[in-house]
Amino acid sequence: MELQLGLALPPPPLIPIETFDLNSYGNYETREALGSNASSWPLLKLGPAGNDINNIHHHNSSSSSSSSSGGGAGCKKRSFDEAPFFDEKRNVPKTLHLLLWTNQPNDEDDDPSNVLHENSSSAIFKNDGEGLVGWPPVKTWRKKVHHQIPNGGAENNRLPAVENGIGGRASKSTYVKVKMEGVPIARKIDLSVHHSFDGLTNTLMRMFGISDGNRKIFKLTYQDREGDWLLAEDVPWRTFIRSLKCLKLIRSRG
Amino acid sequence: MAFSFPDEVLEHVFSFIQSDKDRNAVSMVCKSWYEIERWCRRKVFVGNCYAVSPRMVIRRFPEFRSIELKGKPHFADFNLVPDGWGGYVFPWIEEMAGAYPWLEEIRLKRMVVTDESLELIAKSFKNFKVLVLSSCEGFSTDGLAAIAASCKNLKELDLRDCEVDDLSAHWLSHFPETYTSLVSLNISCLGSDEVSFSALERLVGRCTNLKTLRLNRAVPLDKISNILRHAPQLVEFGTGTYTADVRPDVYSDLAGAFSSCKELKSLSGFWDVVPDYLPAIYPVCSKLTSLNLSYATIQSPDLIKLVSHCPNLQRLLVLDYIEDSGLEVLASSCKDLQELRVFPSDPFGAEPNVSLTEQGLVAVSLGCPKLQSVLYFCRRMSNEALVTIARNRPNFTRFRLCIIEPKTADYLTLEPLDVGFGAIVQYCKDLKRLSLSGLLTDRVFEYIGTYAKKLEMLSVAFAGDSDLGLHHVLSGCESLRKLEIRDCPFGDKALLANAAKLETMRSLWMSSCAVSFAACKLLGQKMPRLNVEVIDERGPPDSRPENCPVDKLYIYRSIAGPRCDMPPFVWTMDEDSGLRL
Repeated sequence: MELQLGLALPPPPLIPIETFDLNSYGNYETREALGSNASSWPLLKLGPAGNDINNIHHHNSSSSSSSSSGGGAGCKKRSFDEAPFFDEKRNVPKTLHLLLWTNQPNDEDDDPSNVLHENSSSAIFKNDGEGLVGWPPVKTWRKKVHHQIPNGGAENNRLPAVENGIGGRASKSTYVKVKMEGVPIARKIDLSVHHSFDGLTNTLMRMFGISDGNRKIFKLTYQDREGDWLLAEDVPWRTFIRSLKCLKLIRSRG
Repeated sequence: MAFSFPDEVLEHVFSFIQSDKDRNAVSMVCKSWYEIERWCRRKVFVGNCYAVSPRMVIRRFPEFRSIELKGKPHFADFNLVPDGWGGYVFPWIEEMAGAYPWLEEIRLKRMVVTDESLELIAKSFKNFKVLVLSSCEGFSTDGLAAIAASCKNLKELDLRDCEVDDLSAHWLSHFPETYTSLVSLNISCLGSDEVSFSALERLVGRCTNLKTLRLNRAVPLDKISNILRHAPQLVEFGTGTYTADVRPDVYSDLAGAFSSCKELKSLSGFWDVVPDYLPAIYPVCSKLTSLNLSYATIQSPDLIKLVSHCPNLQRLLVLDYIEDSGLEVLASSCKDLQELRVFPSDPFGAEPNVSLTEQGLVAVSLGCPKLQSVLYFCRRMSNEALVTIARNRPNFTRFRLCIIEPKTADYLTLEPLDVGFGAIVQYCKDLKRLSLSGLLTDRVFEYIGTYAKKLEMLSVAFAGDSDLGLHHVLSGCESLRKLEIRDCPFGDKALLANAAKLETMRSLWMSSCAVSFAACKLLGQKMPRLNVEVIDERGPPDSRPENCPVDKLYIYRSIAGPRCDMPPFVWTMDEDSGLRL
């Protein structure tokens, strides 16, 4: 991919803003002249009277009432055209850019950002099938709390000294990979919030969207430190927790 | 004719100016004001510990007493920054230990703090008063013991959201019997299930100025009464586990203890809540301004009862068990509400487990005239609701919406939520912080670039169609300081076309986007005042084609140059990167 240098790096004194045409991007007429990617997007006009979401022409009409003014004629231009957004005293070049924004539609064959765009939707799942990391954006120690059974039962009478001594975060990562037979994408599960096979199984069923009726079809297996695959239910919870490396849900046969 | 006040007069005037922004502005008026200001600045704030070196700070501000440092990028909270990335505080402590024997306050956020650092603090600063560690890690209770033992004037020890290695609960006993100056103690993050209760009670009993006490989960319910009776002057209190067998004597003890605390304004904790014990706090509810129930796994009816007793509530953190019905009650009971955070009880479940929708947020925005800060997790949203919210509540300064399933469309029209978020930025003219979610095209970024002129921090995930989206934001958002993006199809063009903008911001994070290694190198070469860091656990970026996208990119302005403490999976693109790599 070739990157065009709009200009060589300027010397420290400021460069007059007119030298660069980057800011002409704010000119809607230019945009309308270009191809399909650059269709004009009239800005949202939200007047005080009623719920008047304008119908944007390349979308279907929305459910709310639309006002009579359509299109972009009355649109508010961006104010950055009027006021420089750099503090001149700070000696930062106003619009140094390393690539002239040409505003061409992104349809070059060899434009890698196109290739990457197609791949970026699969970027959600990493190559090694890890699943969505860090989503939803809930801090680690909050995730732990939420796995508890809300209306107590046995939980409420337990001493707070749970196995991993959770008050806040456990200091070591307790996530293991879980795969389900037939599903290409693996997930990760935090073991430290589970204290029994029941709880673990509940979470796994929910995670993979298995209904209560279908639960019996699946068996939980795990791979231990030696690399052997074992049935989870065959061992006590403590043994299971200590020796497991990763989990797999398989369909039971017969 | 030049006329000036004597320096002492100016210095006296400056002493009334506390905010960093104002201080920075003052220092830029002229050389003599710069000089006067730098000698009398007592509190230094460094928003990115790698933007400047400790020596530079010390050289410029020879007499500060208080420092605040921030380390890792915000997305580290969600495991997006690999362990070992950086953010070590030790070099700072080392430099300051020599230069500032009178240092009093250290506040750190998302930094790696070792026991060695804590021991050095304990040893070096004789008048040390305040240690606030927020979302930090790397230390154990041994380091805390050193602080407790040596810092005779310690007033505040706050370990909010830290990851601490609990080696021994007895660190608390290292506070000498003569030590009485504690004002604020937050140990809610500690996991140890052997807190020495007697040490805690004695500490609380002899520190008569104690105003804030946030306990950890390990402290059982029946111990709270004693603690509260020793500290009836408490203003902020966090319980431990709020569960026990229901016994009338324990209950009345607890209720009595809470009643004796006439100054209580803030409550938190509430792990493992047994609803039967909740009414014990009713005596203090009418004075409560802040309530953190975000660990309380109680259902809507109990939450509603509780919230109805708190008419003066200004800040509420709660799980989505509160449901729309609970939020409607909140809207009608708590007219002073300023901040609301609703967390998901089951973030990974495929189906909703509670009846919490956009309606709850609409109700609160309608009913609470002072609401300005919201963090809301839900599973569905509509443009209509967002427009209503925006019109109801144009005074939002922080609006963070997380629709749990990525790329979820408007559930009524199946359209993107561009128009809804557009309304938020158009109506809420003072919006400083915005987090987006749901199905979003480049158009939402056009709205943001056009209207969000006061926006300082923007968080984006799974949104946009092309570089145009990023370009809108970088070219339009005049006040932007922090931009964090994940899983968006933004590539080289917008970044390179707006290279200079990056020097006006604190930082830019982009992960799982489409920025190529070649672009990173170019940026690093051409922008000497930016640190362009490529974070990639797959191996050296030059082992792949140049047009391959990098995994994670963290760009921040710095006058300290590239850092020297990078782990093997972080590469800085600098002037030589074209030659070296």
